[in-house]
Formats: sequence, C-alpha cells, structure tokens
Amino acid sequence: MIQQRKGSMTAKQCVWGGLLIVGSLLLYGCSTPQPPQDLLAPSDAQLKLRSIQTRTFDVKDRNAALRGVIASLQDLGFIIERANEPLGLVTAARFAEPNYYDVISVTVTVRQDTKDRLTIRANAIYNNKPIDDPKVYQNFFASLERSLFLTKE
Amino acid sequence: MPTTPRNSKRTGACLISLVLLTGCVTHTEPAELFQLTTETSKHRAMQTRFFETPNEKELLSASAAVLQDLGFQVEESVREVGFLRATKERSAREYGQYIQRVLFLVLSLGKLLSPVDLHQKIAAGLITRPLNQAATRQEIRIVFYRIVWKGDGQTDRQYIPPGQQHMEMIRDPEIYQQFFAKLSKAVFLEAHTI
Amino acid sequence: MTPLALRQATAFCALGGALFCMLVIQGCSPYESRHHNQWNSREQIWLSETSQLKVRAAQTRAFDTKDRRRMLEAIISTMQDLDFNVEVLDEELGIVSGKKFIDIEQPYVTDPTYLLYRPDTLLLLTRSFNTWGPFWHRSNLVRFTATIRTRGDSQLIVRASAQFYLQAVEEPGPYQQFFRALEQALFLHGQSVE
Repeated sequence: MIQQRKGSMTAKQCVWGGLLIVGSLLLYGCSTPQPPQDLLAPSDAQLKLRSIQTRTFDVKDRNAALRGVIASLQDLGFIIERANEPLGLVTAARFAEPNYYDVISVTVTVRQDTKDRLTIRANAIYNNKPIDDPKVYQNFFASLERSLFLTKE
Repeated sequence: MPTTPRNSKRTGACLISLVLLTGCVTHTEPAELFQLTTETSKHRAMQTRFFETPNEKELLSASAAVLQDLGFQVEESVREVGFLRATKERSAREYGQYIQRVLFLVLSLGKLLSPVDLHQKIAAGLITRPLNQAATRQEIRIVFYRIVWKGDGQTDRQYIPPGQQHMEMIRDPEIYQQFFAKLSKAVFLEAHTI
Repeated sequence: MTPLALRQATAFCALGGALFCMLVIQGCSPYESRHHNQWNSREQIWLSETSQLKVRAAQTRAFDTKDRRRMLEAIISTMQDLDFNVEVLDEELGIVSGKKFIDIEQPYVTDPTYLLYRPDTLLLLTRSFNTWGPFWHRSNLVRFTATIRTRGDSQLIVRASAQFYLQAVEEPGPYQQFFRALEQALFLHGQSVE
C-alpha cells in the first residue's frame, strides 16, 4: 500500500517536474533581449557616414536649393513622394531598375546655416538598409551641383 | 500509384519556378543608380519643356486643368516648390492575360490558375522651376508611371491571394509630347524642348 | 487497393471540380467582371472620356464673381455636405480634391478582409513590394477634384470631375446636382460654358 502510494507520488512528481522544466524553457524563450547600452549612441562609423552624407553650399536661396534637389532627384529617375518647403524636406524613391524588387529611397534635408550658406544632407536607403557606400553620395552630390549650377546661369 | 502525388508536386514546382524565372533579373549596384547616364539625359529631354513666362502659378494651374481633362484627380500639391501629383485609377484587365491564363491552366492539367492584372493606378508627378535668376523662363517636368495589382490565383493546392503589385515607369515619348501639346495650348505659349 | 485508388480518384475529381468552379466564379465575380477589359491596359494613361467636349460642358460652370476665396469656401462646404473628405487644398492654384466611400453593395457575409482594408495602402511606392492587400473594396471609392480658373476680368470658371469604380464619371446628372448645391451655397447662378 505504502509502496504503491509512494509510486504514484513519484509519478505525480515526475509530471510536475516535467511541467516545471517545460515552463522554465518557455519562460526562457519569452524573456526579451536587453537593449544594448549603445543602442542610441552614435558610433564612429555613423559619424563618418554623416560627413559623407552632408555637404555645405554657398547658396543664399533656400527655395532654389530645394528645387535643385528635386530636379536632380528627378534627373536620377526618382519619383518625388513628398516635398515640404517649411521643413526643407524632400523624400523620393525609385526601383533599382531593371529589377522591380529592390526599392531605393532618399530623404534630403536642406538647412540654412548662415545667410549665404546652407547644408544639404542626403540619406539613402536600399530596401530598409542604409547605404554607407561613399560613392553613392559622391554621385548624388555631383548631380546636385550640376543641377544647382544650371539655375545659376 | 504512389508516384502520382510526387509527380504532381514536381509539375507544380516546375510551373512555379517557370513563373518565377520570368521575373528573374540582374541586380543593380546602388552607386550606378546615382550616376547620370545617357539614358537619364534622354528621359530628361523627353519629360521636360520650358516656357518663356514668369507666371509659374498659371503654368501649374493650367497643368492641373490639363490633367483633369485626362481624368486625373489631384492627390498632392506643394506650390512652394512647384510640385503637383495627380492620379487616376482604372481597370488593368487585358484579354491577352486571360488567354494566357487558360493556356497555362490547360498546360498544367488544371493545376495553375495564374493571377491576372485587375487594377491600376496611373500617376503623374509634375515639377516646375524657374530656370534663371529673374524667373522669366520656367521649366516643367512631368513623369508618368503606373502601379498594377493582380487578382487571386491558384497553384496546385495553394491559394494565391490577390494584391500582388508591380510598377512601371512610362517611357513612351508620344504620351509626353501629347501632354505638352495640350499644355501649351492651355497657356497660349510655345513649349520649347531643352 | 481499390478503395485507395477510388479515394484518390475522388480527391482529384473534387480538386478538378473545385478548380473549375473557381474558374467559373472568377469569370463572373462581381468585382472583376465589371472592370473594363481591353487589349492594352497602358492605353488607359492617355484614354480619357469618350466625348470630351460634352463631358467637359457638364463638368464646367462660369460664375460672375472674382472672389476666389469665397468660391473656394463654397466648394469646400458643398463637398463637406456631400460627406467628402477634403485632402488637397491650394488656394492660389485653386485646387480642391477629396474622397469618400459609399456603400452601394453590401457583401453577403462580413468579410474580415474588409476590416483590414486601408484605403491609403495603394500608395505610390510601397516598401514591401508584395502587399497582399484586400484591395477590391476599392470599388466603393469616390474621388472628386474641383479647379477654379479665372476667365476674363469678371468671371471664375469651376470645373468638377469625379472618379468612381475605376472610371471617370461621365454622366451629367451628378455634376448638375453638385453645381445646384454650389449655386445655393454661393447665392449665384452658374452659366454653362459652351
């Protein structure tokens, strides 16, 4: 009798033990990863990228610069999605032709630094991944300079 | 007997890969896309005209009227930078795709019911900008493009939900010529090519 | 052996039958079949109303006023009376555009995809290339654009155009009703333009 009871006890314990293990395993899977300390801290690479993405121009007319940005983006085959004059913001996108699967989007901000100087910053994203290739930005600013120069004549 | 399901699976896989293969194209490096090529200047010439007028507002308002003539609905307007976007939604059904669908269905022994184009959104993005300091000459550039959505379909036992989309830039010079012809008639000015 | 073969045979028959039914249903599903079928859907870019002049006359009225502001306010309040959601407004260019959804067809069963449906998901470029959107409730969308242009020294011309069920609205009736409401809001009589 006692032995039998003992046996049933162990079976119950086994079940509980199993449940505990499964439960702890499940809990383990549920714990969210801790955010890394440097989640919001700018890294050296990002600082370098920012300098690649930014150019200053000796231009007085912010509106003309903004229109120049739009024109150069159009030259590069981009579709203008949003333009905001007060904020000096332009967003544009295009497909990586000839394939229509990958999307490239660009956000350009134009900021007046001093009376006759302004800063233009471009951010390019390739399918949700920021582009850090300096060549992309060099090419963009080359076409932008061409477009700004065109209106100056 | 046991080979039949495997065979059917194989034919199904073959058909799917066939469909996928048609969509397979090479990748383009992002740096290339930011470079001006002969193509880009050709497109620019096709999509751009300039008018000898200081009145940018009239040009924009006349463009809106011409687009309205063509059944477009204005979706966005940012006059400060001379930006206008108009769209129209139309049917995208084509007889050819239905013929193709039946052909595929017969060839796949009733296993592939390919989705067909149903719905398209045609958009026109328009930008004006002054070309010189005194703003007596205005440049106007318009880009037409369209997005097409497909309906639903079926491969073997797998249901293909509707809504698959694809997009295309319109590079037909005639469409641009006709638009600018209408615009110059509306503003009583000659449209100069760049 | 025999029951297994029989079962598979019936399974294939059922599948074939289901596919056939799907094909039949596909051909006459109310959404799809009412879309205009054509040989080349790209033609829709340039395709406008059948008889442009007649439609334009129905869409246009001239008013004896120079007050653009008042005209704009009257158009907006009329649109609001008609349950339109005004989205684009440009006072200087004289552009007003809006949209609304109307329930003309009640589905037989509550379609869960209808609740997921977001009207603005058919945007120009979606990051996720394949959005399996439940887009066919798009059929109840009405888009409406009105433009104001000056004519001569003392007149304003209002042109209204609407889009419904993937087509431009070409019947004069809806426009007549809109202008009647607008005239009441303005206390002015609109003359039709030849």
